[in-house]
Amino acid sequence: MAYAYLFKYIIIGDTGVGKSCLLLQFTDKRFQPVHDLTIGVEFGARMITIDGKQIKLQIWDTAGQESFRSITRSYYRGAAGALLVYDITRRDTFNHLTTWLEDARQHSNSNMVIMLIGNKSDLESRREVKKEEGEAFAREHGLIFMETSAKTASNVEEAFINTAKEIYEKIQEGVFDINNEANGIKIGPQHAATNATHTGNQGGQQAGGGCC
Amino acid sequence: MNFLRGVMGGQSAGPQHTEAETIQKLCDRVASSTLLDDRRNAVRALKSLSKKYRLEVGIQAMEHLIHVLQTDRSDSEIIGYALDTLYNIISNDEEEEVDDVEEENSTRPSEDLGSQFTEIFIKQPENITLLLSLLEEFDFHVRWPGVKLLTSLLKHLGPQVQQIILVSPMGVSRLMDLLADSREVIRNDGVLLLQALTRSNGAIQKIVAFENAFERLLDIITEEGNSDGGIVVEDCLLLLQNLLKNNNSNQNFFKEGSYIQRMKPWFEVGDENSGWSAQKVTNLHLMLQLVRVLVSPTNPPGATSSCQKAMFQCGLLQQLCTILMATGVPADILTETINTVSEVIRGCQVNQDYFASVNAPSNPPRPAIVVLLMSMVNERQPFVLRCAVLYCFQCFLYKNQKGQGEIVSTLLPSTIDATGNSVSAGQLLCGGLFSTDSLSNWCAAVALAHALQENATQKEQLLRVQLATSIGNPPVSLLQQCTNILSQGDKINRRGSKIQTRVGLLMLLCTWLSNCPIAVTHFLHNSANVPFLTGQIAENLGEEEQLVQGLCALLLGITIYFNDNSLESYMKEKLKQLIEKRIGKENFIEKLGFISKHDLYSRASQKPQPNFLSPECMIFDHEFTKLVKELEGVITKAIYKSREEDKEEEEVKKTLEQHDSIVTHYKNMIREQDLQLEELKQQISTLKCQNEQLQTAVTQQASQIQQHKDQYNLLKIQLGKETQHQGSHNDGAQMNGIQPEEISRLREEVEELKSNQELLQSQLAEKDSLIESLKSLETSSGMNEQSSEAASIRDSEQIAELKQELETLKSQLNTQSMEINNLQIEKQELLQKAEAFAQSVPVPGDSEKIAAKTTDVEGRLSALLEENKELKNEIKSLSEEKTAIKEQLDSSNSTIAILQNEKNSLELHIKDSKKEQDDLLVLLADQDQKIIAIKKKLKEAGHPDEEEDELIIPVGQDDEFDEDEDDDKNDIEGDIQL
Repeated sequence: MAYAYLFKYIIIGDTGVGKSCLLLQFTDKRFQPVHDLTIGVEFGARMITIDGKQIKLQIWDTAGQESFRSITRSYYRGAAGALLVYDITRRDTFNHLTTWLEDARQHSNSNMVIMLIGNKSDLESRREVKKEEGEAFAREHGLIFMETSAKTASNVEEAFINTAKEIYEKIQEGVFDINNEANGIKIGPQHAATNATHTGNQGGQQAGGGCC
Repeated sequence: MNFLRGVMGGQSAGPQHTEAETIQKLCDRVASSTLLDDRRNAVRALKSLSKKYRLEVGIQAMEHLIHVLQTDRSDSEIIGYALDTLYNIISNDEEEEVDDVEEENSTRPSEDLGSQFTEIFIKQPENITLLLSLLEEFDFHVRWPGVKLLTSLLKHLGPQVQQIILVSPMGVSRLMDLLADSREVIRNDGVLLLQALTRSNGAIQKIVAFENAFERLLDIITEEGNSDGGIVVEDCLLLLQNLLKNNNSNQNFFKEGSYIQRMKPWFEVGDENSGWSAQKVTNLHLMLQLVRVLVSPTNPPGATSSCQKAMFQCGLLQQLCTILMATGVPADILTETINTVSEVIRGCQVNQDYFASVNAPSNPPRPAIVVLLMSMVNERQPFVLRCAVLYCFQCFLYKNQKGQGEIVSTLLPSTIDATGNSVSAGQLLCGGLFSTDSLSNWCAAVALAHALQENATQKEQLLRVQLATSIGNPPVSLLQQCTNILSQGDKINRRGSKIQTRVGLLMLLCTWLSNCPIAVTHFLHNSANVPFLTGQIAENLGEEEQLVQGLCALLLGITIYFNDNSLESYMKEKLKQLIEKRIGKENFIEKLGFISKHDLYSRASQKPQPNFLSPECMIFDHEFTKLVKELEGVITKAIYKSREEDKEEEEVKKTLEQHDSIVTHYKNMIREQDLQLEELKQQISTLKCQNEQLQTAVTQQASQIQQHKDQYNLLKIQLGKETQHQGSHNDGAQMNGIQPEEISRLREEVEELKSNQELLQSQLAEKDSLIESLKSLETSSGMNEQSSEAASIRDSEQIAELKQELETLKSQLNTQSMEINNLQIEKQELLQKAEAFAQSVPVPGDSEKIAAKTTDVEGRLSALLEENKELKNEIKSLSEEKTAIKEQLDSSNSTIAILQNEKNSLELHIKDSKKEQDDLLVLLADQDQKIIAIKKKLKEAGHPDEEEDELIIPVGQDDEFDEDEDDDKNDIEGDIQL
């Protein structure tokens, strides 16, 4: 399928906060209530549209367990966006955010867009972390913030898409070097053709469309 | 390090001793010299010694060399020498070259040497980190030996080194950068390094893939000219295979990254391309294997099918099929292409349909399937190719009822091409089945069995197939012919092992007869078959016959288990008695067990691909092993059952079937009712909707009515005022407008006059009383005559005056009364006139003035009348509207009532169905009790419980039954929620 841009995402956060469920809800529109520990990383992909442009999201869902931390660190550098997830019903997962953020900032490229996500918003009765606290943390550290529920799919779509929007805006502003794939951004075959040859745009586009 | 000394001790001899001293000296210089040049020279000298005196240099210098790596990073030359030296110590590559001439067992210790030095090197994990950081050095003399050294380390102790690299920050990412190196040597050795790095380590494979490895490797392959490229392409393909094999996440990433599309050009191998170099064959082989990795039957079904779809959509499958039909393709490439096509189409309807439509470019064009089958039954074709074709055929038929039907139909009498112009798949299979080549027999039998796999229709259809034998003899059915060959097979001289033919045929028969009572009946109808089978099983034959005996036992077991007792002479019971008499139950079961105990059985059960080490090993088919697993247990149970049990089982089965039928009946009813309910619910909802709409309409209309009413009232009030006006006008009109005013004026005048008169009369009365008093005064007083005289004169004068006055007053009075009279008359007249006027309207115009006034009044009157009329009309229309609205209100009220009635009836319905379901539940409970009773009975008959459960309910049905019950419960729960 033809796409204008390809963004690489990673999902990070403590174990059991619902990272894999968020991904599953986003890619398959399903919810799996049984907790199945992620081993290392798992891959998922989906196409979205922003500003009329097709954008392919490639998402690496990482294991939250401490023992996998060294493996998951390898994914920071090549990602354009990160979803940092905590569980609103478990304060400790919120308390660990600083560690996660330090880790991410240390290993990623400086332009990586980080979206803070308070997951399990459907479990209002068991809430331990107030929405305001999440908002405050995000404000303090310059993150985007959202509360989601992978179970009810509330805000899941928005979380992924808003992150993509932020990246897209950064591209428009010229903050990202789109020709360096190590940033987790790739221009689609169609787009690259039009970018490369301003004259003879149509030919390039046709060729691009044909190959996909 | 004692073990090293031990190794060293064995080899150390006189001349080496001096070398050891030299090495020691060099090490000292490396360690202690303050001049870089000295150290560099020493390391260079160590390097030159390291190949020949690997052990010595390794033991003495490694520590110092590592130290150099840590401290002398600024000088790339010395780092380069150090890395080279370390590489020489650790790598076995150089040794192997030397050892080629030497004895083979001498490589053993040198291999150990490499791993031992590796172990020492990685004892400090920082050494690996150090090496990784050195790889960032761009200098060729550092980077290249660094890459080689790390590769060597990975080759020796892969898992440990992988683990260290995995936990060192950005370790894998740094190594990925090697692929971008502009110097081909480094890039190529980088590929080899990544190969070693990714070997059986899923986590690293994923990171490497994340770092865009697919993109870069595919780019390299394209740059190098795909399959025409050299060994670099091969290395890249091997690395790709490492990344993808058994790694679902990476496979998904590969598919999602649209990299499958990029594989298509790999297979654009033109016909005219005559050059098939060994490298090209290797490359293509790996490329085909890479395709197979993505669609392997062992992958998760969803993953494989999405890759299969992508391969069709991008034309990869089509490209592979052109290779399949091309000429001049080397046999092993062709074989692997067939295997690849097999797995690309396996279980994927679209791809299977496409494959069925592929034609060979022959004249006339023949279907590819036919061309392939021709190779399968051709004994001159290579064995692996024939296996590949069989696999392809199997994959074409896997979960493909349409394809199965098409293949079987080519054998049926109605569709066989009588002209014999073109060979059909069916003809080829029959030819193979009865050829003199045992491999063809086996392949054809298995292929035909796959056309019947899980397809009851085709099992029955195949019974219709008749074969023409020698001229003059009647045609024989295919089933008959198969059993004939089995029983008389020994008469024909065959190429290859006779067992293969018989095993093949027995597998075909077992597949054919299983789950098909009609085929069992057909089989038993031939009275020679059962004696043949019992004879085979009962005989005490050699080991090689054990498998055939086992298969015969399986076939006999199938004829019992799937027997519908339609043949008097071969009822289940009779067959069992036969087994007991001729073979013995225990013996029979033992023989049956021979199948799964066979050496080749487990190998065949692992993978669907027929993959045999040699033609002799071609014994079991994968699907058949599944059938054996399924049937072995149930047949054993069926054999051990006594007649009574059988009967009871029959009864239980029957009652169960009855109950089943009742249950299914009720289920259907419930389903229908559910449907009805659903429909009615929908109706209710639509009606409710309508109702709401109507109600809103009604309320709107009611408010309108209210408005109208208000208006009406307003109008009424206005009307009331106007009518009052009109009323007075009307009165006036009756009396002639002006006259009342005149009359009132006249009346006022009269009134005035009257009051005047009264005044006058009272004055008169005063005067009279005055006169009276004066008279009495005149008469009574005489003493004052003079005065009285004068007074009297004055009085008389006064009197005279008064009299005159009186007189004038009287006359005045008279005139006034006259006047009053006149006025009264006038009034009378006027009254009369008014009366007359009232009696005859319009008033005859006495005077012009009055007439004019009258017309004027009349005009106004008529205007008023018209206005009145209009208002009345308005009122009328308003009231009409009102009644209409009232009607509408009534009608909507009635529809609401109807809706409520309907709703009530629906609720009744629901109640009824609930009741029915409850009844059903009761019924089910009853049945359960009955079953328990029967179980008890069985228990009383003296059989263990465990068996009973399964005795009563045949396997397979058991589960279904439970599920059905669950379903019912779910249904009921669902209804209660409603």
